[in-house]
Amino acid sequence: MNNSLTHVMLCSVCTAPVCTNAQVGCHAVSLNNLFDRIIQHSAKMHRVSNDLHQQFELHVLPSRNQVGRGGHICHTSTIMTPNGKENAQRMAREGLTQVILQLLMAWTDPLMNLHHSSTNVSVDMSSMVGELRRGVQRLAEKMHTLGLLTDPDSSVVSPEALMTSHPVPWRLMNLYDILYCFRRDSNKVHNYLRILKCRIVPEHGC
Amino acid sequence: MRRIAEILLLLHWFNLLSVEGTRYSLPGKPTLTRCRSPEKETFTCWWEPSFDGGLSTTYALYYCKENSDTVHECPDYHTAGVNSCFFNKNNTSIWVNYNITVVATNALGSTFSDPVEIDVVYIVMPHPPENVGVTVLEDKGWPFLRLSWEPPHKVDTRSGWITLIYELRVKLEEETEWEMHLAGQQKMFNIFSLRSGGTYLVQVRCKPDHGFWSEWSSTTSIKVPDYFQRERSVWVMIMVSSAFIFLIITWLIHINSHSLKHYILPPVPGPKIKGFDKQFMKDGKSEGFFCDLVSIHFPATTTPNDEDLLVEYLEVCVPEEQELKMEDKGEDGCPKSESSTSDCDSGRGSCDSQTLLIDKCFKRVAPGLDIECSQTGTGANEIQDSPDVSSGRVKTWPSVYSPLSQHPVDLMHSLDKSKQHCLSDTLFPSDSSCPYHSHPDHSTNDNPDSTYWKFCFNNKQRLLLRPQMETQWQPHAYSEVNISATVRSSDYVEAHNISDENTVVLHSVSSSHDDREGTGYKYQGEDYSHVQRVGSDNVLMLQRGLMKEPVDTGTSDTSPITRNQKPTVCNETTLSVNGPAANGYVDTATMFIKPTQD
Repeated sequence: MNNSLTHVMLCSVCTAPVCTNAQVGCHAVSLNNLFDRIIQHSAKMHRVSNDLHQQFELHVLPSRNQVGRGGHICHTSTIMTPNGKENAQRMAREGLTQVILQLLMAWTDPLMNLHHSSTNVSVDMSSMVGELRRGVQRLAEKMHTLGLLTDPDSSVVSPEALMTSHPVPWRLMNLYDILYCFRRDSNKVHNYLRILKCRIVPEHGC
Repeated sequence: MRRIAEILLLLHWFNLLSVEGTRYSLPGKPTLTRCRSPEKETFTCWWEPSFDGGLSTTYALYYCKENSDTVHECPDYHTAGVNSCFFNKNNTSIWVNYNITVVATNALGSTFSDPVEIDVVYIVMPHPPENVGVTVLEDKGWPFLRLSWEPPHKVDTRSGWITLIYELRVKLEEETEWEMHLAGQQKMFNIFSLRSGGTYLVQVRCKPDHGFWSEWSSTTSIKVPDYFQRERSVWVMIMVSSAFIFLIITWLIHINSHSLKHYILPPVPGPKIKGFDKQFMKDGKSEGFFCDLVSIHFPATTTPNDEDLLVEYLEVCVPEEQELKMEDKGEDGCPKSESSTSDCDSGRGSCDSQTLLIDKCFKRVAPGLDIECSQTGTGANEIQDSPDVSSGRVKTWPSVYSPLSQHPVDLMHSLDKSKQHCLSDTLFPSDSSCPYHSHPDHSTNDNPDSTYWKFCFNNKQRLLLRPQMETQWQPHAYSEVNISATVRSSDYVEAHNISDENTVVLHSVSSSHDDREGTGYKYQGEDYSHVQRVGSDNVLMLQRGLMKEPVDTGTSDTSPITRNQKPTVCNETTLSVNGPAANGYVDTATMFIKPTQD
């Protein structure tokens, strides 16, 4: 019962049935393949955010020593993310997955707002974040069906529940902060996904 | 006054300071040169001190983390060397901004450096890759280098904490430019297209996703062994193929050499000597009974077709039956005979084949070796039921015989001209032109050492020879040919008589006999051939021998033509020769002319 509820909750944004054992009409993607695709996507997202930040620093903030550079307050700072290798390795798979999803969820709206309001930023990063989020959700579902996410207490909570726990409203952040924080968070996502992959399917490229 | 004293005192004090030669000041502003993390777990910062201001200066590094006002001092100044600060794992936080400042302090004061903000994620510069190994492997005979390496031992790639990409560079030892290759995340790489015998230098470096390239690893060198055999095999193939092409071209030129020769060097018209066979002379098979054509008998007479000597020739055509019989006997070495006797083609060419035929056929007793002669311009006349078919052709100057068509009695003359080893001269009767065949019924001695030649026998397979002694030629009376004659090489033989046993008696014709008129042939030759016997298979066996007896053709009652000219016309009537066989010579011309007279 619990599992089925969780399953329903996980699949609330699902559009395709979960395939098990290569059912007819359903192309089963292997876990390894799914991981590779997700990691590639997150690498691309981080590359874009890095380029945006560099361009901004190059043209908008020529002086590196200007005040305001330090002390960035990111709206995602309340999300407890491991900030070291040991901490990340100590974290369970479910926790890592949850952190990833939380981060991705936190950045959908600010980036959408950024794309619409700011003329400097032409790249729509919010769609990238949304796609990555859906991919990670699918990954979580697959892991759950495979029995890799076994801890029911730390099961992935519905992403929508995380939306309300931001103490710092992102609307107060300026453009530079947004770009800086997003660059960092995309790096975090990328790194966490890699750790997750090498923990679950270590035989390829770890 | 007091003021002046104070000023003087101050000046003196300053003077004292300057006398010592030093000037103390605050230390210069240090600068943080760089901060690097080798594995994204620790990091080190280095600074560059400025002038110390003349006093001992100490440096301190202070940092504060992001969103915290707590200032910390550097925990370790020594691990990383002078002017450095090492942050160990406990003091390192990833994805956290560090605000670092270096302070230089001396007795006079402190100077702060400019603050630097770093995030450890973006200052990762790993160590060079380790265990760079190079081996030479073979791919279908061609060598290639296989490089392999390992990430630096401090970098944790197995847990996915850091992902490295690699780059390598290769060059020959004597070159100056490196060849760069990006290897991605793999730890192995192949390099092809090597120079055999060369020494290659290899270096590898690595970089995290967003970070700095490491230093190049230490140079690894490898020597590629000599693969000269492989490269040489290409040259060998080139040489072989070019030699092959050269051989083909040579063969093509050889095949077409005759036409090429005619094209480049048009042939000089040959001597218009009737009956002159150059090929036969070259072969040197005169065997004594063929005169040296050059030395004797240059008949002054010319025929109307003199100018076409080169293309006209006389051929003895052989009837089919004789050919078949011939083939049954299994001739070897004899040229292939054509059964068609109607092949009176004037364009046959030289008499080479005739010579060949004679030579080869003389080697053995060949039954009924037929000699084909065909007269040019005149239609070939089939000789019926001739049992023997010559396997070769006897070609003589057809012009010799062309007048024979009008003057069948010109055989003597033509015989004289043809001078043929060819007893096989065809005699062309007036009414018939060509072909006749050797007499199959004559037995010949199968003596390869004996000289013999073939006769053109009539279709009745009887050789009619008139004995030399006799003055009367009775062509129809002869039933057989008994040949025993020896002829000098420069002489030719005329049939003396034909015995009943089909023996042809031959005796040589005198070479000194130039008078063709009325006296018939008189050849006084040293050497002429004895006809040993006539074989049953129509082979006339002659023996080389000396014959000193002058012979007299005794053809007084023959027509002048027959005396003067070689009987070269074969007619269909039978020829029979009677008379003594010894010391006779065979004159085929006379022999053959006989029937025409009747």
